Amino acid sequence: MRRPADSPPEARGLARDGVRLLVATPDGMLHGRFSDLPRYLAPGDLLVVNTSATVAAAVPGRRGDGRPVLVHWSGRVAGDTWLVELRTGEPAVGRVTDAVAGETISLPGAATVTLLHAFPGRGRGGPDRPRPRMWAAAVAGDAAALQARHGRPVRYSYVPRAWPLSTYQTVFARSPGSAEMPSAARPFTAQLVTELISAGIMLATVTLHAGVASLETGEAPLPEWFSVPPATADLVNLTRAAGRRVVAVGTTSTRALESAVDPGGRVRASSGLTELVIGPSRPARVVTGLITGWHDEGASHLDLLAAVAGDDLVRAAYQAAEQAGYLWHEFGDSCLLLPPSRQPLAGPGASQRLMQPSSSSVSTGLVT
Amino acid sequence: MPTAVITGASMGLGRATAHALAERGWSLVVDARRPGPLTDAMRGLAGVTALAGDVTDAAHRVNLAAEVHRTGRLDLLVNNASRLGPSPQPELRRYPLDELSRVYAANVFAPLALIQLLAEPLAAAAGTIVNVSSDAATEAYPGWGGYGSAKAALDQLTAILAAEQPALRCYAFDPGDMRTDLHQQAFPGEDISDRPEPEVAAAALLRLIDGRPPSGRYRAADLSAPAVSR
Repeated sequence: MRRPADSPPEARGLARDGVRLLVATPDGMLHGRFSDLPRYLAPGDLLVVNTSATVAAAVPGRRGDGRPVLVHWSGRVAGDTWLVELRTGEPAVGRVTDAVAGETISLPGAATVTLLHAFPGRGRGGPDRPRPRMWAAAVAGDAAALQARHGRPVRYSYVPRAWPLSTYQTVFARSPGSAEMPSAARPFTAQLVTELISAGIMLATVTLHAGVASLETGEAPLPEWFSVPPATADLVNLTRAAGRRVVAVGTTSTRALESAVDPGGRVRASSGLTELVIGPSRPARVVTGLITGWHDEGASHLDLLAAVAGDDLVRAAYQAAEQAGYLWHEFGDSCLLLPPSRQPLAGPGASQRLMQPSSSSVSTGLVT
Repeated sequence: MPTAVITGASMGLGRATAHALAERGWSLVVDARRPGPLTDAMRGLAGVTALAGDVTDAAHRVNLAAEVHRTGRLDLLVNNASRLGPSPQPELRRYPLDELSRVYAANVFAPLALIQLLAEPLAAAAGTIVNVSSDAATEAYPGWGGYGSAKAALDQLTAILAAEQPALRCYAFDPGDMRTDLHQQAFPGEDISDRPEPEVAAAALLRLIDGRPPSGRYRAADLSAPAVSR
């Protein structure tokens, strides 16, 4: 069964790196603690971490008729235009289903946010959903200041009480912008990083501001802002050339790295809004290992895991985690997926996959 | 029913374009800074929603966009609202930078902000964007460094937008000299009655919209033929 972690490990008497770690390899499943991570990696392997910091993305407001509403700010897509999700209360349980285009929501300090159109919009071929959940919305006011002054971390019903924003920061958090914590890196501690470095394991950084994760099955991942710096691109290419593993910490780091792959399969320094969908039609090209928490937020998450580690390994890992009572969600336990050490496209079925067109990676147009 | 947004519709080219489109039965969402002149300018026209406000005000832009998104259709955006800067216009070597910033806010940032806010319905309709430019964007007239460089920025913004959005029509439209309030500001105290009325340029703008030639920069004078030949 899937047991949700209802509080951070620190509140359960554990260190951050004291959560459980399931190491999934083709030879079997190993059960350990996250603090054991160095022993499952080899010198020269590269861990890629996300430096995005979590913001207090849930801001209370009032609808035109006075009803309270909680605005979840997923991310900025252009100028004053953001993607938002509306919730009826905190923790996020009920979804607002009767919002309409043109509706204005009052926010603290005389700011407003006005719903423009359901997302994705008709301009991208998406028909109008009967009860749209994600909206492109225009903010009149300073969204970052609003969040800082009046926002709270996005919280779902399996976490019964509120925790301060610091609970939602990883040790790598430097650049604010994630609507929800890039939680795969949450178990890392300064001490563990020192152990990794001392063991010859390398670290490199990317930034990807994670949007709201409450997607339903069939919904494409939201556009998210990312940046892969030049030094990281160089290190990834070097690690690949040396035949070592590139282990992305989290699906966010995976999406950032894969969004920066050029047609020749090399990572180039780049940044922008990514709409890349990693999955059956677009396997991972440079990521050869993955650290992730346990989530069940729809198919797109599992598609990404399978695109790195293969369907069989992911299925076996989930089965083992459920049997062993691993804890789910952002405060839960962790998983290290180590698929067979090979070039990611050289395995059986790869040629068939290569024939399929890849999704466009970095958006150059207006996100509608 | 085709729908257009026209900014700065209380006078000059904006007013003339609004009248020409309304007479053809278009639905319009228009704005201008001063409510009185805007109401007067739109009197007698059917299907017009008029919002008083300044395009450099983000909250006003959102109101304008919300009005469009409520109906959900947009075929044409005419970024016509403009700001000349101080009158008479100062030379660049003593141009007040805060004034320059206001000129850019009205002529460059506000048009792009509206394009961003209205991207979805414009894309859905494979619509048209007209950014009103000036010959001062391409000619080095002394005294026109603020307004002219801002319109040059708007021209280049339009050109790059066209390259990025091949499904849209993106025009920089140079109306030429017109007998308008803005033109009078540029030539304070001078008699400008020899300049053509803005209705002449508005007619050229409509030929641009009807003909849908490739995206680019067009001068009203070159659109004066009965039909766009290219």
